[in-house]
Amino acid sequence: MTDLEEGPVRPETPEVEHAEARASGLLGVIMVIAAVVVLVDAARLRDSDDALGPAAAPTLLGVLLGLVGGALAFQSRHFLRTPKARPAHLWRLAVLVVTLVVYALLLPLMGFVVCGTGLFTVAALLLGAPHPARVVAYGWTLAVVVFLVFDVLIGLSLPAGPWGF
Amino acid sequence: MAWRPAGPGPYVAAALATIALVATTVFGGDDNAGFLNGRQLRLMAPAAPGGGWDQTSREMQAALRTEAGRTEVYNVAGAGGTIGLSQFVRHEGDPTQLMVMGLVMIGAIESNDSPVGLDRTKPLARLTTDYEVIVVPADSPVKSMTDLAGRMKSNLGAVSWAGGSAGGIEQILAGLVAEAVGADPAGVNYVAHSGGGEALSTLLSGRATAGVSGVSELEGQIKAGTIRAIAVSSPQRLPALPDVPTLKEQQVDVELANWRGVVAPPGIDADDERQLEDLLVRMTRTPAWQETLQRRGWIDATLTGPQFEQYIADERRTVTDVLKKMGLT
Amino acid sequence: MGDLLNGFADALTPGNLLWAFVGVTIGTAVGVLPGIGPALTVALLLPVTFRLEPAAALIMFAGIYYGGMYGGSTTSILLNTPGESASVATALEGNKMARAGRGAAALATAALGSFVAGTIGTIALSAAAPFVADIAVNFGPPEYVALMAVAFVTVSALLGPSLLKGGASLVIGATIGLVGIDTQTGQARLAFGLPSLFDGIDVVIVVVALFALGETFAHLVAGTGDSRVEPLRGAPMLSREDFRRSWPAWLRGTALGFPIGSLPAGGADVPTFLSYSLEKRLSKHRSQFGHGAIEGVAGPEAANNAAAAGVLVPLLTIGLPTSATAAVILTAFQSYGLQPGPQLFSESGELVWALIASLYIGNVLLLVLNLPLVRAWARLLTIPAYGIYAGVLVFACLGAFAAGGTIADLIVLTVLGLLGLLMRSAGVPVAPAVVGLILAPLAEQQLRRSLALSEGDWSTLVSSPLTVVLWIVVLLALLSPLLRRLIQTRKATSLKH
Repeated sequence: MTDLEEGPVRPETPEVEHAEARASGLLGVIMVIAAVVVLVDAARLRDSDDALGPAAAPTLLGVLLGLVGGALAFQSRHFLRTPKARPAHLWRLAVLVVTLVVYALLLPLMGFVVCGTGLFTVAALLLGAPHPARVVAYGWTLAVVVFLVFDVLIGLSLPAGPWGF
Repeated sequence: MAWRPAGPGPYVAAALATIALVATTVFGGDDNAGFLNGRQLRLMAPAAPGGGWDQTSREMQAALRTEAGRTEVYNVAGAGGTIGLSQFVRHEGDPTQLMVMGLVMIGAIESNDSPVGLDRTKPLARLTTDYEVIVVPADSPVKSMTDLAGRMKSNLGAVSWAGGSAGGIEQILAGLVAEAVGADPAGVNYVAHSGGGEALSTLLSGRATAGVSGVSELEGQIKAGTIRAIAVSSPQRLPALPDVPTLKEQQVDVELANWRGVVAPPGIDADDERQLEDLLVRMTRTPAWQETLQRRGWIDATLTGPQFEQYIADERRTVTDVLKKMGLT
Repeated sequence: MGDLLNGFADALTPGNLLWAFVGVTIGTAVGVLPGIGPALTVALLLPVTFRLEPAAALIMFAGIYYGGMYGGSTTSILLNTPGESASVATALEGNKMARAGRGAAALATAALGSFVAGTIGTIALSAAAPFVADIAVNFGPPEYVALMAVAFVTVSALLGPSLLKGGASLVIGATIGLVGIDTQTGQARLAFGLPSLFDGIDVVIVVVALFALGETFAHLVAGTGDSRVEPLRGAPMLSREDFRRSWPAWLRGTALGFPIGSLPAGGADVPTFLSYSLEKRLSKHRSQFGHGAIEGVAGPEAANNAAAAGVLVPLLTIGLPTSATAAVILTAFQSYGLQPGPQLFSESGELVWALIASLYIGNVLLLVLNLPLVRAWARLLTIPAYGIYAGVLVFACLGAFAAGGTIADLIVLTVLGLLGLLMRSAGVPVAPAVVGLILAPLAEQQLRRSLALSEGDWSTLVSSPLTVVLWIVVLLALLSPLLRRLIQTRKATSLKH
């Protein structure tokens, strides 16, 4: 394969490279942990009398996960020793994830329109939208239009709150 | 679709949307006033669009229109209906919630070790049955069920069965047949597929000895001669396939119906239960429902009340028993 | 031929044209939304259409079907958020083009490619359906194992510049594909006793999470939420050069899409991956791949739509629904008393020809509707990222909910979205994960099925001429890079002397 010659030409600052290596190391570690989970889960399966039982594929994939994950973690080990790089906006991510979970929990209680507006508003503000009031108006319009089109017109029943939408 | 950063536009749009929303949801659509305090029935099809339960739900929706106004159908797919079931039992005491179910769900509850069983629902009515048909490729040397039974007795592993999901009705039938001919149900070489269509394609490729599927699903193929039917699982021959003998006619003492019915959530009061049963019986008498039975090749099997509950309990015993013998639970 | 003309006569009434128009519009709109595909839409509209004439309803469904297939490409190209697995390959080059201001060209080649492929596919459907079906029927489990092997060895082009990172993505996808009840034995794998995981994780949810949520999260973490993309730069639509590079890719994509789509377990996603790989191998502009090569949009888009026509072959000729949409169309057929299968053409020929005619009409309408809209769609990009991605999030959650119907699907969506972000930050491409997710379970099932049917005899894998041919293709694909290198070193050494 001659794929290497077309590698990324974007200017790579050490910082970007560092962040990428850190993420790749973390991914590698997660993959190794997942490998253990997959292998343990596979060992628990009842075997069948077929030539290839239900555990064959998970075992193979578990080993592959471990090997590839290990290689990723190994490759980025240098970067783990020199902790630097600017902290990303991880708190925003945390807020959005919490919002998504709250959205999932409130959806059956409050209905699609209210929850959808809330999700849109929080996401847009976290992403850096100015004018909160306008964002709410846009979110409300979007959620209502979606509800009208899918629930009322097409008939996909979306969760509704006590007020009927 | 331009994004204007200023002006009253967004607020006007939001206000207009609100008006439309309130007009359609709060004031619209109470065309079924009088039934169950005017609330709308919601019917869960615990399967993906296109399958038997989905078809049953949507046909019910059409037939109920004259009896109960607009009914809403929604799908909760997965795991032989057990995902839908575990969600359904949460509507405790709500008589406007119904779910379509059937024999397949009983098998899935057992083979998946589902934490929620049918005892957590209130069975209302059995509606239809569809029987299973055992088929072989058109050029297969297997001539009859007796022939196939002989092969199973001499070498059980060499007779491969293509059918639907593991623990489903097709595998149950294969297990019952093995037991009836005196072979070990646990040794049946059953090759599971995610649906009847997929099983059919394996059978057509000539790699499997026999196939099992619903009569309505294979009728067209059998009539066109691409596959040959050797037995049906009904007590008598079926009007749709008058030339195909039953299993019993061929000395295999097995009878299996893929029935479908409707249940309500637990804890509804007796009055509501009676009203819902009446409604379903009335529905089965509508011309729309009769036409559906005709068109789909389903057989009317209306059964309600305690008899239906007894029937479910019996079916559960049969299914659990054979699944255990096949080593599937 | 006369039958087809009669079909056109039936389909081309003003009323039916209106339904075709409605169908194409709904289909495109729904296809644009991540996670809400034509299958769900047709299922939802079924009860509405009970009151329509059969011909009108079928025509509307044909419009939704093709419209949905095409609509999925729009968000892939513009926002890098494919709504279904068959548009993933389109996103790879399409989004790079859009970011370079060539969004209109990408959309135009997708629209024209869809039209060309849809038309050829429909012609092939009307001319050769029974013949193709005869071959497709011979595909049993061993043949699928060989086909999956071909797919696995040829999709390496999708892995990106780093083999290790591409491979990591592939393995992650394959592992996600393990989740759920094992078809053969009915045991749950990697479900941890959670009923919502018993049926596996819907491909749509994985695609939407890895792409749409991953993209949104990435903007969030990087703080680039107020960025805008220059929507249109340079030539408005397809330049002559673009066209010259597109049309062979359309034809090759069609040639891959239709036959694979017509296999009972083929589907529309596998040919799009194969088409992308093929275009990358054949292209003279290989260095542009990964930075917005137009062939990489034209080929997979054509493959996608040709496969959509191919899927109808087993449906109409054997009555085999091979995709969710086909299963719903089958239900629609049955509700009009049509039993798809070997006798369909002889028993209800008139309606079938009307359907085929309406597929042609739907295709033309799709092009007429969409080509002028290409520039309008591209202008979507002038909305600031915070508006777009907040909206994408709302639709992604809606799609995930519609796909499974449970709250647990939303939680799975969020977790996979975080995985998508991590992969992105680590420079691991997400497309191979989708490939692994689709191919690995298929390969496992078919391999185990083959061995069960042959009672554990591995030689079943090469037991038919078809399998042998496919395995030879596998060998050639594996050896070709080696051979090429060998020839190159020969050349280099001979030049030195």
